[in-house]
Amino acid sequence: MFEWIQTSIDGIVDGAIYALIGLGLSLSYSSLSRLNLAYGAIAMLAAYCGAWVAFQGEISMVLIALIVIGVAGLIGLYVEQLCFAKPLQVSGRIDNASVTADAGIDQRDLVALASSFAIWMQLEQLAINMLPRHMNAFPAFDADATVLLPLMGEQLILRLDRLTVAVLSIMLITVIHRLIKGSRVGLAWRAIAEHRMASHLMGISVDRFQTVIFILLSSLSGFTAFLILAIEGQVTAMFGMWMLLKGLTAAMLGGLGSVLGVMTGGLMLGLTEAWAQVFFGAIGREFAVYALLFLTLTLRSGLAARRKEQHFDRRVVPR
Amino acid sequence: MSDRVFGSSSAATGMDGAIAKAVRQSLCHLPGVDDAGASYLVNVLSDISILSLIALSSYVLLLSGRVSFGQQAYFGLGAYGSAVGTVLFGWSLPLALVFGIACGAFCAYFLALITRPLSGLYFAVASLAFAEMLRLALSSWHWQVDRGGGPVGPAGLEGFRSIRWLYENNVAPEVFLLICLALLGAVLIGQMLLERRRIGMSIRMIGYDEVLAAAQGLPVDRLRLFAATLSGGLAAIAGGLYAHRTTYVEASLFDPMLGVHALGYALLGGLGTALGPLLGVALDLGLLDASRLVDGWRMVIFGGLIAIILRVRPRGLLDESLVNSTQRRARHIVGRLRCLISPHRDLDAQSSRDAIVPGSIRKS
Amino acid sequence: MLDIRDLATAYGNIEALKGVSLTAEAGKVTCLLGPNGAGKSTLMLSLSGILKPHRGSIRFQGEELLGKSASYIVSRGLALVPENRLVFPGLTVRENLLAGAYKRRDSAAITADIERFFERFPRLRERDHQLAGTLSGGEQQMLAVARALMSRPKMLLMDEPSVGLAPMIVAEIFQIIEQLHLEGTSILLVEQNVHMAMRVAQKFYLMERGSISFSGKATDLRDDHLIQRAYLGQRHAA
Repeated sequence: MFEWIQTSIDGIVDGAIYALIGLGLSLSYSSLSRLNLAYGAIAMLAAYCGAWVAFQGEISMVLIALIVIGVAGLIGLYVEQLCFAKPLQVSGRIDNASVTADAGIDQRDLVALASSFAIWMQLEQLAINMLPRHMNAFPAFDADATVLLPLMGEQLILRLDRLTVAVLSIMLITVIHRLIKGSRVGLAWRAIAEHRMASHLMGISVDRFQTVIFILLSSLSGFTAFLILAIEGQVTAMFGMWMLLKGLTAAMLGGLGSVLGVMTGGLMLGLTEAWAQVFFGAIGREFAVYALLFLTLTLRSGLAARRKEQHFDRRVVPR
Repeated sequence: MSDRVFGSSSAATGMDGAIAKAVRQSLCHLPGVDDAGASYLVNVLSDISILSLIALSSYVLLLSGRVSFGQQAYFGLGAYGSAVGTVLFGWSLPLALVFGIACGAFCAYFLALITRPLSGLYFAVASLAFAEMLRLALSSWHWQVDRGGGPVGPAGLEGFRSIRWLYENNVAPEVFLLICLALLGAVLIGQMLLERRRIGMSIRMIGYDEVLAAAQGLPVDRLRLFAATLSGGLAAIAGGLYAHRTTYVEASLFDPMLGVHALGYALLGGLGTALGPLLGVALDLGLLDASRLVDGWRMVIFGGLIAIILRVRPRGLLDESLVNSTQRRARHIVGRLRCLISPHRDLDAQSSRDAIVPGSIRKS
Repeated sequence: MLDIRDLATAYGNIEALKGVSLTAEAGKVTCLLGPNGAGKSTLMLSLSGILKPHRGSIRFQGEELLGKSASYIVSRGLALVPENRLVFPGLTVRENLLAGAYKRRDSAAITADIERFFERFPRLRERDHQLAGTLSGGEQQMLAVARALMSRPKMLLMDEPSVGLAPMIVAEIFQIIEQLHLEGTSILLVEQNVHMAMRVAQKFYLMERGSISFSGKATDLRDDHLIQRAYLGQRHAA
C-alpha cells in the first residue's frame, strides 16, 4: 500500500512536469493549427547553449536560465519565420477554416509539419556539433535535498527540486489558463484558434500575434527544459526527441489545444509511467506509454473530430 | 532467372563470379574510379537502392494523403521476418523476402485498418507510437535455435546475428547490387504503371482532397488500405535486403529517424512521380556524403534544404505540375518528330491537331 | 465615402475582379447585385484586406487603403459582416462581441455598446453566455452584424446577409439594415435577394463576371429584364 502511494506521488510529480512540456506544444498547435515538430529541438539547442556557457566557468544558474530562455525565443523566431509564417492563402474558399476541418492534413499543414521536422533535424545537429559528447553536464539543483513525510509508519521521500518544479509547473499552467480565458489577448488567441480569417476581420493582426506567441512559447519551452535539466544535472543528445515525445503524449492524451487537457494528459502520462515501471521494468514502461497514447488516439480522436464538425455546421461526408 | 542468380552454390559460382566481374569492370570505366573505388560505389549504390525502397514506401502513403512516422516498423519487420526465414527456417532468399514482405504488408494493413477514422495529424502520431511499440516488443523477443554452430536467432536487445545467407551462397556484393537494382527497378515500373491506371489516380485524388474524392464516389477507406499495405510491403523489401547485407539486425533498426528520413526523401524529391523519392535519396546520400567537408553539417544542410524547398514547392522538387509539363513537352516533341519522319502525312490534319496543343509552333 | 477605381484581384492565374469601379456614399445603402460567381464576395474580401488586389485603388474617406492589412482597414472604420456569418463557434455570444471590439480600448463604452446591442437584439441577450456555434442561422446573422458594429465602423460591408435564412428571418434582417440606415450608418450591401435589397438600398450596381455592368438608382431596377440579369447573368436572362 505504501509503495502505491509513493509510486503514485512520484508519478504525479513527474506528470506535472510533463504537463508543462505539453503545454507549449499544445498551445502552439491551437495557435497555428499545425504541430511544431521542432519543439523539442528548439529547447534542446537552447539548453546546449546554456550548457556550453556553463562549461566556460562559474556562471550563476539564474544567468544560465535567462540565456536558455532567451536563446529558445530567438530560435523560435527563426523556426516560425521559416516554417509557419507564410500567410495562409485564401484561395477562392471564403470559409477559410475549410470544410474538411479535421478530416485530413491540408496541403499546407502537411508542408508545415514536414518543414518543421526538417528543422528539427537541423537544430539537433547544430546542438550536437556544439557539444559532441553524448552526455554533457548541466548546472544542477541540489539533488540531495529531500522532503520526508511520515506516512503509515514509513517515510515518503520526495526530492525537493522535483517537487518544486512540479508545483511551479502547476502554477504556471493555471496562470496561463486564466490568461487565456480572461484576458483580451487570450480572447484574441481563442478567436484565432477558432477561425483565422474571421479574426482578421476583427482587426487582430493575426500574423504578428502568432509570431509573438510562438516566440513566447518557445521561451517557455526553454524555461521548461532548463528546469528539467537542472534536476537531471545533465543533457544528452536524445533530449530533443525525448521532450517532443513527452510533450506530444501529454498534449494528445488530454486533447490538443486544451490547457486542462494537457494537465490531465500529463498526469495520466506520469502515473502510467510510474506504475508500469513497477510492474514491467524499463522497457515495459516505455511500451505502456506508447500503448496508452496509441489507444487514446484510436479511441478518442474520433470524438474530437466530431466535436469540431458540429461547430462548423458542416457535415463531413458521412462514413 | 531468379534460380540462376540465387540458386545452389555449385552451379551459380561461375555465373555469379562472371557477373560480379562484369559489374566491377563496368564501374571502373567511370572517370576516377579504380578497383577500390568500384567496391565503394557498389556499397553506396546498394545503400541508395535500399533507401530508395523505403523512401518509396513513404511516397506511396503520402500519395494517399497520409503522413507516417512509422515506416521504420515495416522495415524492421521485413528485416526480422526475412532473417527468420533464411536463418531459422532455412529458406532461400526469395522466399524469405516474400515472407518478410508479408509481415510488413500485413502489419501496415492492420494499422491502417484500426486508424481509419483518424485525421492526418493523429494518424502520424499513431504511426509513431505503433512503430515504437513494435520496436520495444521486438527488442524483448528471444527465439534462439541451435543450428549447427551454436544458437542463432533474435536475442532481445542484442539483436539477431549471423544472417549469412548471402555468404553461404556465394553471392558477391556486385551481384547483390544487381538484385537490389532489379527489385528497385521492378518496383518503380510497377508503381509508375499503377499511377497511370485508374487505381493510382484515385489514390492521388484522395491525397489531394479526401472529402471531394468521397463525394465522387471513391472508396476512400479501401484505397487507403491498399496504399498502406503496399507501403508496408515496400519498406519490408528494403528491410529484408538490408538484413542480409549487414548480416545483423537489431531493434535499433526501428529508429524513428529512419522513418523521418524516408519521409524527408519523398517530400523533398517530389510527389509527382515515383522517381521523386529517388531524387531525394540521391541528393542526401550522393551529394552530401560525397563532399566530406559537410560531414558534421549534413543534417543542417539537408534539413534546411527541405524546409526552404517546401516553402517554394510544397509538393517537392518533382511535383505534379513539373511532371505534367514535362510530359506535355515530350508529347509535343514526339509529335513534331513524327511529322518530320513521315512528311507525306496529311499536313492539314497535323497542324490542326497542333493548334489544339497550347504553345504550338506558329510558323506551321 | 468609399471610392473604388479599377480594382483587380486574381486567384493565382484566374482574374476574379477585372477592374471594378464603384462609389458608396456616406449615409446611404449601396447594393451590389449579381449572379453567383460574379465576384461580389471577392470584392468584399478585397475591400476588407483579406485578399490583396494587384491593381486599382480603394479610397475610403480620402485615404488609400489598397494593400493595407486587414487590421489597419478595420481601424480606419471599415468592417465586414462576412458571407456565412463566420461567428466564432467556440466563443460565447458576449465573447464574439468583445472580439469585434478588439481594436478598442475604452472598456466602459464597450460594455455600454454590448448593452445597447442586447436591446436591439433581445434574442441575443438570452444567449449571452451561450456558445455561438449553437445559435440558429438567424441568430448568428444578428450576432455577426452586432459583432461588426462593435468596432464602431464608419461604413459597414455586408456580404449576403440573407443567404441560407428562412424568409421570416430574412425580413427581420432587412428590418435591421433599414434601421441602421435610418440611424445614419453607411452600408455597402452585397445581396442575391434583389427584391428585399431594393427596398433598403438607394443605389445599386450590377456585377457580372468580374466587372460592373450597370448602375443606377433603386427605382431604375423596376425593369424585369434587369432583375433577371441580376439573378442569372446576361447570358441566361431571356
